[in-house]
Parts: sequence; structure tokens; C-alpha cells
Amino acid sequence: MPPATHPEIVVQALDLSKQIDGRAVLQEVSLEVLAGRFVVVIGANGAGKSTLLKILATLMRPNSGELRLFGRPVRGDGSPLRARIGLISHQSMLYRELSACENLVFFGRLYGVRNPRERALELLEMVGLADRADDAVKTFSRGMTQRAAIARALVHEPDLLLADEPFAGLDVPSVDRLQVILARLQASGKTIILSHHDVDQSLRMGQQAIVLRQGRVVVDRCTRKLDSATVLREMVTA
Amino acid sequence: MSRVIRQIAILTLKDLRIEARGRQTLGLVAVLGVLIIAVLGLGLNRQVGGVDATAILWVAYLFAGVLSFEKTMAVEREDAALAGLLMAPVDRGVLYVAKLLSNLALMAALAAVITPVAILFFGFDLSAAPLGFAAVMAISMVGFAAVGTLFAAATASTRLQGGLLAMLVFPISLPLVIASTQLLVSMFRDGEPLGGLALGVLVAFDAVFLVVSWLVFECVLEP
Repeated sequence: MPPATHPEIVVQALDLSKQIDGRAVLQEVSLEVLAGRFVVVIGANGAGKSTLLKILATLMRPNSGELRLFGRPVRGDGSPLRARIGLISHQSMLYRELSACENLVFFGRLYGVRNPRERALELLEMVGLADRADDAVKTFSRGMTQRAAIARALVHEPDLLLADEPFAGLDVPSVDRLQVILARLQASGKTIILSHHDVDQSLRMGQQAIVLRQGRVVVDRCTRKLDSATVLREMVTA
Repeated sequence: MSRVIRQIAILTLKDLRIEARGRQTLGLVAVLGVLIIAVLGLGLNRQVGGVDATAILWVAYLFAGVLSFEKTMAVEREDAALAGLLMAPVDRGVLYVAKLLSNLALMAALAAVITPVAILFFGFDLSAAPLGFAAVMAISMVGFAAVGTLFAAATASTRLQGGLLAMLVFPISLPLVIASTQLLVSMFRDGEPLGGLALGVLVAFDAVFLVVSWLVFECVLEP
């Protein structure tokens, strides 16, 4: 009988706390995310979702607590670990004056991707922007910009994809399209952590739900064992 | 080492490509620089002339430079592009050097536009030491851009931005302006060769701010 293999723990956070301008934005947050999981972080506005994702992306340091990514503690500037992370937010993180392809090639080169142009075109094909590859990002609609942002986040083939409110400001067809892309990424084995305030949509998409209330984790459970009413109650009950 | 140089080249070329595409920064700062020279020139009724006019030239460099630093950093703030950069496995010092080189390229282009205007306006004869003039200005610009790049990054996320940037950069750059003007006066009026204490001040200023900025740039960057 072959030895049992344990899935890698991609994210391990222990008692993370963060204060911003004297306000406790995160309080003793602990969580674990296994490789290949689709985790949704749910919470009302100001619950600490974006701060948590920034800390997981190593863009922000917690005031206390320990964070391990891919089994390694995050110390210093976290540069080698960041190379395995892709980040999407409601802002595109793209240069508006450059074309979608130029943006992707630029980021690809920074990450040391081989054949960055080839990779850029492949990703733009994947997100349905191949025909607009040479158009400036400033000419894109919100939905197209968000798809280009996803391509940017994937240019270096990250193992962990962090998405902070990626559906913000998107129309219904764009939301559907983005959901299809995320489902495809999950099927390809990527670990996804997505923050969202829409409970129903979050529970449909994710496998594991983490509910934040006033900077604390109040629920960390498999989405199949949760319903919207429970999550909503946990989100607002003081 | 080659990786660092490659990353600096990629980042600097990106900035220059964006500027070439939009031509927003250079167009704006060049017009501002020319206007400052024209307004001061007309206001002073040409009572200032010759080498003394380099002080006026510096006023134009300072204001146009600060606006330029602010604009080049604003590109990174727009749509949170800076967060995308910070996610890449790039040393923060590399980001600083690349932004500094972009700012220096813009300052060189700016100087190429407004210096001839000032020379014509104030009758400043460069023929005695054109290379000396270029050398003094180049050394001064490095220090000015080193300070400006650092503080533009530090103030980019604040609401005051331009006003605060000017309040920080102007006083810090004062030794640079004084030393540079003294050097030009000694070269052009007194006929002395390039050198002396003033040159030492310029070089020391550049060295201190380049090293300090490289070291602390990480602390001033916020996604």
C-alpha cells in the first residue's frame, strides 16, 4: 500500500493581529488553507478582509502573530514567497497607458518568465481578450480590465491566488465570466483565497468559508456545512 | 548583479514608455518651467543677468522637478499599479533606482528645454565653460532627483501630496542649490576651475541621499 500523502498546507496563520491608526483591524486571526482549496473570506465592510489578504500577500506586516506560506515563515521582505503568489483586487494593478499585452509582458519579465510575450498572449486568450491584446488598458470596460488583471496575476503561474473583492463593480455577464475563470483555475489545482461580501455567491463558489466579524474569525468551516442565514447571522451578531 | 540591472532596465523603460505614450509629465513641467522663467524675468525687469540668473533657473528646476516627481509616482498609484510591482520578486532598492533614473531622464529633458530659454532671457554666456556648467547641473540634478524620488514615494499616499512634497524637498535641497550656484559663480565670474568645497558639498549630498534613499525606500512604500 502506498504511503498516505498529506496535502501541503499553503497558508498557516497563527494569532495574526493588525492595528491601523490605533484601530484593531485584525484580532488574533488563525487559519489554515490546504493546497488546491478554494477558500472564501466573507465579512461585512470593514471586517478586515482586505487587510487579511494584504498580510497573506506579504504586502503588509502584522503587528503580532505568525504567518507561514508554503510551509516557510514569512520574514524579511518575503520576496521569494511572493513569487508563488498572484494577487487580484478590485483595482487592476495595471498601467492604463500600456496595452494589455505590454502590461503582461512587463510583469512577466519582472518575474523572469520565459517567453513573456508568448505567455501573455496565451493568458489573454484564456481570459477572452486576445482580440484586444494591443489596446491600451484605459480603453477597456470594467469587466475587461478585471479579466486583464486576472491574466496579470497569473503571468508567473502562481500556486496561490489571492482575490480581494474581484467582483466589485462588475456587471452580471462579467461576474459569470470571472466565476468560470476562477472555477477553471481551481480545477487546475490552484489554491484560491477570495474575499467577498456576497454570502450566497461565496458559498456557491468556495469549499471552505472563513467569516470575519470586526477583525475576528467567527466561522471557519466547509461551505457544505453552512447556509446563508447562519453566515449572515455570524457576520452581524456582536 | 545582471538580474538587478535587467530589472532596473525593465522598470525604467516602462516609465519612459508610459511617458512617451501620454507625454503628460514632460509637457506640463516644461511649460511650468518656461512660465516661471518668463514671469520672474519680466517681474525683475531684467535687473538680474548673467550668472546670477542661475538662481532663477534653479527656481524653475525646483518647481518643475517637484511636479515631475509627483507625476511619475502618480502613475504607480493609479489603479494600484504599485501593489502589482510590490508583489513581484524585485528588491525595493531596485524600484528606487529605476524610478530615480526615470526622473533623471525627465529632468534632463526638462533642462534641455528650459535652460536655453533662461540663457536667452537673461543673456547668460555659457561659452566660458559649457562642460563645467553641464557637469555642475548634472551632479546637482542627481542629488535633487534622489531626494525628490524618495519623498515623492513617501507622500504619494497622503492627501497633501504636491504641497507636502514641495515643503519637504525644497528645504532639504537648499545646500544643493547654494553649492551649485556658488560653483557656477566661481567658474563663470571668477574664472576658477571646477572644484573646491562647493563641489565637495554637491558630491557628498548626492552620495548621502543615494545611499539613504536606497536603504529606506522599502519603509516609505505602501501599496
